[in-house]
Amino acid sequence: MTTKRFLCLFAIAAGLILASSPASAHHSTAEYDMTALTAIKGTVTQFEWSNPHAYIHIETKDDKGNTVEWVAELASIGMLSRVNWKRDTVKPGDEITIYGNRAKNGKNLMRLDKIAFANGQELSANVR
Amino acid sequence: MRNHLKYSIVAGAALLFILPAIFAQTANSSKPAGAPDLTGVWMIDHFQPALFPKGTTPPFTPWAEAEFKKADTKVNDPNLACLPHGIPRLMFVPLPMEIFQVPDKVLMYQEAGNQLRQIHMNRDHKKDLDPTYNGDSVGKWEGDTLVVDTIGFNDVTWLDHVGLPHTEALHVVERIHRADHNTLVDDFTIEDSKAYTKLWTASQTYHLKPGWEIAEYVCDNNKYVYHEK
Repeated sequence: MTTKRFLCLFAIAAGLILASSPASAHHSTAEYDMTALTAIKGTVTQFEWSNPHAYIHIETKDDKGNTVEWVAELASIGMLSRVNWKRDTVKPGDEITIYGNRAKNGKNLMRLDKIAFANGQELSANVR
Repeated sequence: MRNHLKYSIVAGAALLFILPAIFAQTANSSKPAGAPDLTGVWMIDHFQPALFPKGTTPPFTPWAEAEFKKADTKVNDPNLACLPHGIPRLMFVPLPMEIFQVPDKVLMYQEAGNQLRQIHMNRDHKKDLDPTYNGDSVGKWEGDTLVVDTIGFNDVTWLDHVGLPHTEALHVVERIHRADHNTLVDDFTIEDSKAYTKLWTASQTYHLKPGWEIAEYVCDNNKYVYHEK
């Protein structure tokens, strides 16, 4: 494979990866509607315990019964650890409700404020 | 009893061995007697992604204005490639830092990338510096204030989280002081005649976080990673 071809493939792969990224590195809250709190109840499909942000993926049903995925963005691992989050705080299959500020671009993405477990217990994701 | 005596002698001998080292360290400390103690874990009081908020205009040169227009936080932010933030951006990251004062240096251990920023207290800038991400920082005390002068930057980093550009001519002066026991303030003066038509300033306040420890921070969310070179 020539270097040029490799770079071209790399660029395409990087583009696909970036296109699917929920958000960038440490960023402002400007891309979220900070005036309203959205609540979504669903089933956890993935918990990404990662930097610079952790992510919870959940599946829920829309009005027509279609499966819809939502992604909630959290702070970094270190900051979350300071407010009692752990890598297994939520696990695939858990029924939870995520509360947060929805992305202004209309995507099923929110900046997480807190979660509620099936037993009603809540855990804040506010780190400051 | 005999064992007890033996342990006391050993402990006493150990102390005699250690004490000169402790005194030597005190005498050689970068923190002069009576100077403020900046040590501890500090966290920004609020996040300032943009050092020029909406409605204010940076004094850009034409080159810098064009560079700023190209900046896209989702595409070409150097931090997406897990590169160091550079100064001053590192001091505005919404993650804690721990300050240590050791002989000849003030050290800032940043959770962001677990970078260790060195401020050299007893030397001037080196000649013919090789450009680096965080530059060469030298410090001195002016009363209660730690004055830090940094040059020797490369031109890869952004000055803030939204893309203020700079060149290798960047010169940053920080005046860091403890406003009260729980509050640290860093006042920045930023100069880069190739990117800005005049000096400008910024400021960040930090709160002391007793009991916090700096966590491991590896830039492992590699779905963001790119490298533009």
